[in-house]
Amino acid sequence: MPVKKEVCSTGIEELDMKMSGGIPLGSTVLVTGCSGSGKTTLCMQFLFNGARRGERGVFFTITEPLFKLTKNLEGFAFYDKKLIESGMVNIIDLRIISERLGLDTEKYTVEDAGALLDILKDIADELDVKRLVMDSITALCYRLQTREMIRDFIFKLGTSLAVMKCTTMLTSEVPPQTFKFSQYEIEEFISDGIFFLGDIDRKGDLIRTLQVIKMRGTDHSRTKFALNISAQRGIELVPLLKSTEFEAFLKR
Amino acid sequence: MVDAVIEGIRERIAAAIQVNQSVGIQVPENRHGDLLEAIFDSICRNTHTTWTYVTVSKTFDYLSKTFREGTKQNNVKFIDCISRAAGISDATNNCIYIESPVMLEKMILEILNNFKGMKRDLDKYIIIDSLSALMIYNDPEIIREFVSLVMNRSRAENIHVVSILVEEEMDSSKLIQLNDKIIVLRDSFID
Repeated sequence: MPVKKEVCSTGIEELDMKMSGGIPLGSTVLVTGCSGSGKTTLCMQFLFNGARRGERGVFFTITEPLFKLTKNLEGFAFYDKKLIESGMVNIIDLRIISERLGLDTEKYTVEDAGALLDILKDIADELDVKRLVMDSITALCYRLQTREMIRDFIFKLGTSLAVMKCTTMLTSEVPPQTFKFSQYEIEEFISDGIFFLGDIDRKGDLIRTLQVIKMRGTDHSRTKFALNISAQRGIELVPLLKSTEFEAFLKR
Repeated sequence: MVDAVIEGIRERIAAAIQVNQSVGIQVPENRHGDLLEAIFDSICRNTHTTWTYVTVSKTFDYLSKTFREGTKQNNVKFIDCISRAAGISDATNNCIYIESPVMLEKMILEILNNFKGMKRDLDKYIIIDSLSALMIYNDPEIIREFVSLVMNRSRAENIHVVSILVEEEMDSSKLIQLNDKIIVLRDSFID
């Protein structure tokens, strides 16, 4: 029986409703999906909505340069440049930090990854952030040389996040049309929750979907929803028409 | 004669939707235009009501040229599900374009968004023109599910649904049964 906990509202009404109000405070959520599934938009909306509620947030990017990221955001109504200028939303390029630390930005050793984790923690502490996003954990792990190093890094990351007391979203890239939550199959174990963003092929058109696979401490819905990305409203969810699933099953 | 038919249709629709029911209108292709004229006439006359017109059979461009007065009203918004797929993408404040008629969930979202924040006691209507055209692009099962979902949400939000079925386009007899009330238009009289 889930205990009523303090929650962190994503600000996406339908998504919060699926989780009895929001993500349990301090949780780490893996936002997993293929390219173009809406991971970055969802995370950004989470940060900007939080900032409007007075909760400072930080977005660590390792995949996209800052100018490109902010340019893409400008089209959304939830985006507010003032929240960035006032420091309520901080967007930080991890590659620049790596460079400043004198690390090889393409390949990390165990020590490099450890140093980077310490810096992330220091930044989060110093800014007193309540919401943290890392986009993406897959790209970060890609810079580690062996599976053992990746495993070690992910568990260290999990430990660091657990003590940070902020609600975290880690994006994870997976190939399209697969029901897999992560590239290295370890990321899900340090996560309290998983949002799975997928696609459904309906007569050649791709319908974006979202499913809350797991959310510890909540009585959450596991229904699959159709996800729409709108400039005016950002992420929107509506129940997915189930006949689609049946069609896809028949195709398989 | 045509005016009398349109007036008759308009009265029948008005009588049916007064009791807050979903209405399915089955119409032969050669009467489809008259039915639309009756609907746009209702939109023009009832300025205190709000309408969302989902078009799958005619483009918004066609409707605005044919029913100029009706489409210019402030109390109606259009959701055009076919123009984008046909490569037409005129920007207009009065119409939302959906990429493809198979994006049924997006249609539902746009319908609901259109009515969001409106007073509960305001008379609200959804026109789906037409279910039979939707069936050209989608499988019958998914359309049944779509109609069910739209109707259930509409009932919960006090919105009236009027769905049109053009006889010649598809055998949609099962679909029309989802409505609370059915009006059948013939070539020369109304059932």
